[in-house]
Amino acid sequence: MKHDISLTVNGDTYTLAVEAWRTLNEVLREDLNLTGTKLGCGSGDCGACTVIVDGKSVSSCLTLAVEMDGRRILTVEGLAPSGETLHPIQEAFIEKGAIQCGFCTPGMELSALHLLKTNPLPSDTQIRSAISGNLCRCTGYNKIVDAIAEAGRRMDPPSKTGR
Amino acid sequence: MPMETKTLIGKDVPRTDGRAKATGQAIYADDIKLPGMLYGKLLRSPLPHARILSIDTRRAAAMPGVRCVITGQDIPRVTYGNWRLFPGTQDEYALAMDKVRFIGDEVAAVAAVDRETAQAAIEQIYVEYEELPGVFDVDASLATGAPVVHDTSPTNISIDRKIAYGDIEAGFAASDYVREDTFTVHAVSHAYMEPCACVAQSDLDGRITLWTSTQTPYIVQCLLASTMNMRENDIRVIKPAVGGGFGGKMELRPWEFCAAFMARKTGRPVKFTLTREEELAFGRRRHPMTIHSKVGFKNDGTLVAKDLHIYLDGGAYNAMGPTATFLSGNFGAMLYRYPSYRYLGEHVYTNKPPASAMRGFGAPQTLFAAETQMNIAAEELGIDPIQIRLKNAMVSGDELPGVATISSCGFVESLKEVRRISGWSRKRKNLKTGRGVGIGCYSFISGGVFNWFNTQYPFSAAEVRAFDDGTVHLLSMASDIGQGSDTVLKQILAETLGLKMEDIRLTAADTAMTPQADLGTWGSRVTLMAGNAVLDAANKIKERLAGAVSARYNLNVIFDIEFADGRVYAAGKPDRGMTFGEAVAFVQKTQRGEPLVARGSYTPRGKGLVSPAFSFGAQVAEVTVDTDTGQIQVEKMWTAHDCGTVLNPMAVEGQLEGSVQMGLGYALSEQFVMDGGKTLNTTFLDYKMPNAADMPPGESVCIDTFEPEGPMGAKEAGEGLASPTAPAIAEAVFHATGYRCKDLPITPEKVLKGLGKL
Amino acid sequence: MPAAQFDYIAPTTVDEAVAALVNGGKDTRVMAGGTDLIVKIRHRMLFPTCIVNLKRIAGLDAISVDKKNGLTIGATALLADVAANKGIRRHYPTVAEAAGATANVQVRNMGTVVGNLCNASPSADNAPTLMAMGATVDIAGPSGGRSMPLDQFFQGPGVTALETGEIVIAVRVPPPPAGSGTAYHSLSQRGKLDCSAVGVGTMIVLNDDQCTDARIIVGACAPVPMRTRAAEKMLIGKRMTDTLIRQAAQTASEETSPITDVRASASYRWKMVAVLAIRALTDARQMALRKSTSK
Repeated sequence: MKHDISLTVNGDTYTLAVEAWRTLNEVLREDLNLTGTKLGCGSGDCGACTVIVDGKSVSSCLTLAVEMDGRRILTVEGLAPSGETLHPIQEAFIEKGAIQCGFCTPGMELSALHLLKTNPLPSDTQIRSAISGNLCRCTGYNKIVDAIAEAGRRMDPPSKTGR
Repeated sequence: MPMETKTLIGKDVPRTDGRAKATGQAIYADDIKLPGMLYGKLLRSPLPHARILSIDTRRAAAMPGVRCVITGQDIPRVTYGNWRLFPGTQDEYALAMDKVRFIGDEVAAVAAVDRETAQAAIEQIYVEYEELPGVFDVDASLATGAPVVHDTSPTNISIDRKIAYGDIEAGFAASDYVREDTFTVHAVSHAYMEPCACVAQSDLDGRITLWTSTQTPYIVQCLLASTMNMRENDIRVIKPAVGGGFGGKMELRPWEFCAAFMARKTGRPVKFTLTREEELAFGRRRHPMTIHSKVGFKNDGTLVAKDLHIYLDGGAYNAMGPTATFLSGNFGAMLYRYPSYRYLGEHVYTNKPPASAMRGFGAPQTLFAAETQMNIAAEELGIDPIQIRLKNAMVSGDELPGVATISSCGFVESLKEVRRISGWSRKRKNLKTGRGVGIGCYSFISGGVFNWFNTQYPFSAAEVRAFDDGTVHLLSMASDIGQGSDTVLKQILAETLGLKMEDIRLTAADTAMTPQADLGTWGSRVTLMAGNAVLDAANKIKERLAGAVSARYNLNVIFDIEFADGRVYAAGKPDRGMTFGEAVAFVQKTQRGEPLVARGSYTPRGKGLVSPAFSFGAQVAEVTVDTDTGQIQVEKMWTAHDCGTVLNPMAVEGQLEGSVQMGLGYALSEQFVMDGGKTLNTTFLDYKMPNAADMPPGESVCIDTFEPEGPMGAKEAGEGLASPTAPAIAEAVFHATGYRCKDLPITPEKVLKGLGKL
Repeated sequence: MPAAQFDYIAPTTVDEAVAALVNGGKDTRVMAGGTDLIVKIRHRMLFPTCIVNLKRIAGLDAISVDKKNGLTIGATALLADVAANKGIRRHYPTVAEAAGATANVQVRNMGTVVGNLCNASPSADNAPTLMAMGATVDIAGPSGGRSMPLDQFFQGPGVTALETGEIVIAVRVPPPPAGSGTAYHSLSQRGKLDCSAVGVGTMIVLNDDQCTDARIIVGACAPVPMRTRAAEKMLIGKRMTDTLIRQAAQTASEETSPITDVRASASYRWKMVAVLAIRALTDARQMALRKSTSK
């Protein structure tokens, strides 16, 4: 049986009929053609499928689409404020060399966003802990950690960083 | 070339696909969706060794939504393998014909309208097997009367390689100190984040287009053609964005064949995407090895002789094992001057998932043994581990007789630098029990000169098309799989032509569009080989443009022509010149509209049997060992390495840091837990690769050398670095605790056992 | 791998959830965060016909910290929320630490403490501390509600005392006794932030330096998180010296029956129970002493 759901993804509302067993990852990638969200393991261990649901980072591979009725979802495609302007996290990832193969990047960026929203100027240890559910095989993480710290500084209001 | 004239080389140029990847726009194979596309799924053997008696696909084929079911009986009986120069080594069929040889061996494939149907159909295929006894390690495989994995290799040894020079018996006789050890190293996963995926389409003429997550589009094109009984030019392989490879995506694989074959049969595109469980349970892996090593020294630490015998546990098929067998012998002779050396490598079949190429290609295993043995010898001879290395270190001009000549070499400098930045001398003396420092070193190839693929094309090729709007189009079959070669090739081209990065359009890794050929991304060959091909093409363009400017301004032939800031002009006389675009237009006019295009290529010739250039480096690890739990904390890593001219420091550093992650996992936490032929840890929960919190801080220095054979002096960076981490950590653990590990990985349990606490 | 096919219900009251479970029979499964359940389904280890999602039941995610009634963690309270809750961090710091050490950020943003308990993995990170602190589970079912001590709740790997139609709606922890201290130590091969190969949770109560109560619970070394009662007995009524701690830890180790699996060998686990028990008991003693001196 299909279930009717209505969800908001990156500000756009979609009304869909989904089978109960389909994951948010599948629906994003296949039904909505939002392929920026990756699938690296399907068991919540690698973080490549991370998206933000109602402000919290979750593994889209372990989230049933049917649960998403009425929820607000942010994927990597919705991170940049516009096609021309990038989000500070994206800018920092590019400039700091935090991207190699890029497959972990969307999930990393959303985990970074989740962290920086509550902790704009995290310590090195806090960043590493916050992305410990996002595996990367290329970079050795250090440049990702640098990029997240840099993004935090850029996102933080000047009044605070000036203190 | 003086560095101060460079505007892009040696600069932290951000990767040119960064924006696409940061925004989620980069397209990987599984992101591709074509109209009418079917979903493929493989049926794999549940048994490690069995004869196939019958396969009944009738129920699967009759299921609604199933469009195609194939088994070994439906496909051309053509074996494949990357060593096509030696057809006897080509031991795989895309789908098993008569026998299965490992748990996961591909037996049948289904294409259906959706993934659920494909999975359901796979479960409706009935295979009758006659189970055969299996062999699961080298000893069992080599035992008298052992089950034979391939009838063509009755001893289960599929290939052996030998290297010998100097008088080894005399060498050992003249040695004051002879040391013999056996080391064992284990299998690990490439664990690229993107599981393998591909989409095949059969066009209106019946030609195949295959988008696939590969490091080697040209190899896939050729082997797909032969297995499909098609002509090479009827196969087009396109590499989309690839989520890492590390050697695990450099062969034709069954899903690529099945996608193409079923696309042709059904007339509909077919996609395969592997699951992580398939990757971990059945995927390629690094060779486990049993390494017997005997070395002889003089009392002062001078090396005299080395006798190395390695068994590679190859798993069920050759894959890239023959190359690893050859290279292991070379790596065993690298780093130090061995006056006499003998190597025998034997590649042994077992009923396990095939081992193949993986970052380092034999070096991480061989150098773990060599470097650990060097550390043992230093200890026993009472010489500092860095001192004994300095005494024997290879220098520029050294030879592996008949095999290779070392051109640029910054090994001595690397040793001295890593000693300095790590505070080695102080730490070796003063650290408390439970804390230690250790060293490991590496040397690596910058691409192979061997041509096991038997290509009739250049090893790398490039085409540059210049346009009168001041832009150029670079076409290259080189495959960026995340390491950043697209960016580096653009840097080389832009620097040479005096253009900006954004002036270059790149078409890469599309076998129907990019010039033949390129052997792909492996063995750290791309920067040197594709870089040289780009440079060759760029210089041909320069020659034409320089001629044009010279003619236009009637310049004396002794004038140099400079290319900078988008202009072409007489050196020292910037007003005697024109923009790059104007120069292109000028040339084009002189040839009545014919576009300005140049082809470049690179094939190593007269460079021995191994590689045109070698990188070197040394790494120090500092660890803390909890002697109650056996847990090892790596506190810091220091690296000094020689990769020739550093074309892009940020990219080189990224390679280094990624290597440390992989080396750390190899040393401490990554392994396959096997029960016979069955892999038990098939998720990232239990296949433990280091996460961000596990990574130690690091410090590194690049040694400044210039490699004459490399583009702008560059050579390998980042693959060799997969090797030193494990021996450095092992030595640091010994320094901290007195426990000497000769059997990777260094698990907490082994530490406790080594300390007599378990 | 595609999942088995199932239906889905998201009731808005506990009664509806219970009714759905009763009607659905044994192949109907309860889901809170889904982080264990969906993995099992997608790895084809479970084939439910229907899933009952608890997350739409209002108020079931409540967390309350109360001087008199202690701590209550509702069935759908997230691991992340438990780990971050100020009251829990202050009064039940080890409960917060264990929740914060479970899996990774994303899983903690989806998964729940109660779900971690109901999954009944012997290595569940949240079980040892909660058992040590004398937690009980509140159960709703077709024949009304009941409560049960957490140390009777686990029956085997993946098996709990829940009857058909029953749901754990909360886990309750009594107020920590005066003079008590708690600690949880765990180990895995990777080192940091990983699922545990061994875990030891403990609570001890000191009166001056006399130990008046002790609980030592070992995770991942028996079919269920297990109390090591002989070790506990050795401590009670005695001065908690380092020597006694070492002896009790050794006894705790001897009480367990670990197995060898992909994460560790039996002999290593045995050894580590003793090491972790020493560390946990020492930390718990320190917390108890700190609390008594700060009074």
